[in-house]
Amino acid sequence: MKTMISITKKPWFLALLVIIFASMSAWNIPIEKRKYGLSQSGLATDYTGLLPGKIEQVIPSENIEQLQKIIKDSNKHGKHISIAGLQHSQGGHTYYKNGTVLDMKNMNKILEINEQEKTVRVEAGASWGDIQESINPYGLALKVTQSQSIFTVGGSLSVNAHGRDIRNGSMAGTVKEMTLITPAGEVKKLKRGDQLMQEVLGGYGLFGVIADVTLELTDNDVYSMHTKELQTKEYEEYFHKAVENEKVGFHYARVSVAPGSFLNEMYAIDYNVTGEKDNSTPLKGESAVRLSKFALDLGRSGGRLEDFFWESQKQFSRSFNGDTVTRNNAMRSESDFMEFTVPGRVEVLQEFFVPVDSFEEYINELKNTLPSNDKHEDFKVHNITVRFTERDSFTHLRYAKKDMLGLVVLIQHGVNDKQMQHAENMIQKWTEATLKFGGTYYLPYYPYQTKDQFRRAYPEWEAFKEQKKRVDPNEVFVNLFYNHYLKD
Amino acid sequence: MEKNSQRLIPLIVTVGQVVIFPYYIIWLKEVSMSFTLFAWLFAVFSFSAAWGFRTYSVKKPDSSAYISAIYSGMGLVYIAAGWMVFPVEMLPYAALLMQIGLGFLQGYFRAWHIQKPSYRVHAVHHYLLVGIIMIGLSFVKIFSPSIFLILFGVLLFISGWW
Repeated sequence: MKTMISITKKPWFLALLVIIFASMSAWNIPIEKRKYGLSQSGLATDYTGLLPGKIEQVIPSENIEQLQKIIKDSNKHGKHISIAGLQHSQGGHTYYKNGTVLDMKNMNKILEINEQEKTVRVEAGASWGDIQESINPYGLALKVTQSQSIFTVGGSLSVNAHGRDIRNGSMAGTVKEMTLITPAGEVKKLKRGDQLMQEVLGGYGLFGVIADVTLELTDNDVYSMHTKELQTKEYEEYFHKAVENEKVGFHYARVSVAPGSFLNEMYAIDYNVTGEKDNSTPLKGESAVRLSKFALDLGRSGGRLEDFFWESQKQFSRSFNGDTVTRNNAMRSESDFMEFTVPGRVEVLQEFFVPVDSFEEYINELKNTLPSNDKHEDFKVHNITVRFTERDSFTHLRYAKKDMLGLVVLIQHGVNDKQMQHAENMIQKWTEATLKFGGTYYLPYYPYQTKDQFRRAYPEWEAFKEQKKRVDPNEVFVNLFYNHYLKD
Repeated sequence: MEKNSQRLIPLIVTVGQVVIFPYYIIWLKEVSMSFTLFAWLFAVFSFSAAWGFRTYSVKKPDSSAYISAIYSGMGLVYIAAGWMVFPVEMLPYAALLMQIGLGFLQGYFRAWHIQKPSYRVHAVHHYLLVGIIMIGLSFVKIFSPSIFLILFGVLLFISGWW
């Protein structure tokens, strides 16, 4: 004991203690999450931080009665309301200048799980991860959700998000019932097929507050993963075979943006049904975040490092060929490693949809639109993921008028005026190329596109606007997206 | 040098460190992202202080104290905290290094200071001065703690060469 005490007084021992503890702390420093969202100072931003705006107040949601009162009051006094969840949309969809923001995150309860009917009723502020945690022990899984589970139900439905499932159609199609608080402050129970529900799903928060929804579920199937490297010109044929093969449940692909194989190489990943169901495998968390972030940062450097990153991505995809994964875990990919916090720069998402059979021609067109090596460019494309979106006949502002392939694009650029203008020009050119092939672009992201491009991509915009006028004549529910694209 | 470093500068260091502490804490809180990391940054400071204290304590009485370098070192840490222009994701790592540095220097300085005859007088003056300065600072509105961190850092750095 005496020896122990004397050792603790030795400078070398204390130095060792500092080194060990400091190393442990350094290893456990979390990957930075960028600071965004609603602040006490009355400024709001969303995930890009590109549209900071002064808001009047943030009201945390409590229950339906409280929301009704706020909405009725706003309607009466001509005030504006926006609805915010976890604010991963990137085009000011969750706030409005000098408006009130309803922060829905507190309404996140799982209200009912019906094992027999395979449904779950949840409050709109719950995240997909919250639902997965509650249904996983029952061997149940969501029919459609994004590849990550970090978004709120209300937010995802408002933008009619899609994922990697190629069998269950749009997310909107999995909503059985819904409780909505209308702009007049009425509480309405809506069922599938009701006109108003059709407006709310993919309605970008402009038709009322979704209080809760009943979602259809399916079994937590076990899938085996299969990877295939191919040329972009081979993809259409490969994809058609994947869709025809009923064993394939999920499918997505990546296109190379590395200089050495720019838009020529791809790899595809299929999740094949094994016939097994699962109710015991735990949900996976974030893993190997540092390693993934390091690899992505290499890719962000461009040039040869981006070639190296592409090769390592292919190598990684080969490594899990034949592995099995549960449906729930396939729908909760890691996201922390994507954090990007370099001052003066921003990483944004865009998504372009093109008809499946135009994919090859579209990619060839992009080769003429984008620089193959963006190492020394301000506008850099880091990643293109390809996902299938089945024809949507459900929502008004539909991005999939027919069966489409969605190209989810991760882009980085600077934020000074000149750099913003350049990014806008590049994305407008890209959008133009997309429209040429009968495609569309996704609306939850920063609006680089012109109003004219919006109208050509979404010819139903007038019907959408008319319906908005009928349902919400006093414009109780507004946001920056509405202001940019739809307001007179 | 010896005279000043024993009579006046220790008081500047002890009073200044307590006065600057709220600003430094605000900076550290912004950098540390979670309470766990915030607490760990203090733990590493504490371990380093113990290390610094013992490092001075085991020195032979007649050997050089390097106290001027200690003051300048502390000053550099505060200047770095105020001037930091790293990407946001690098800041926690920088803060960790700074806590090690500051802790060691603080422990070393404390071990030296308590052996000086002026220590007891300083203790009383320290408390009175801190109280008065804090009341004064409560009326100063600032947007960022950086300016105070840099000013105090420069003061300490100069003290090392005074």
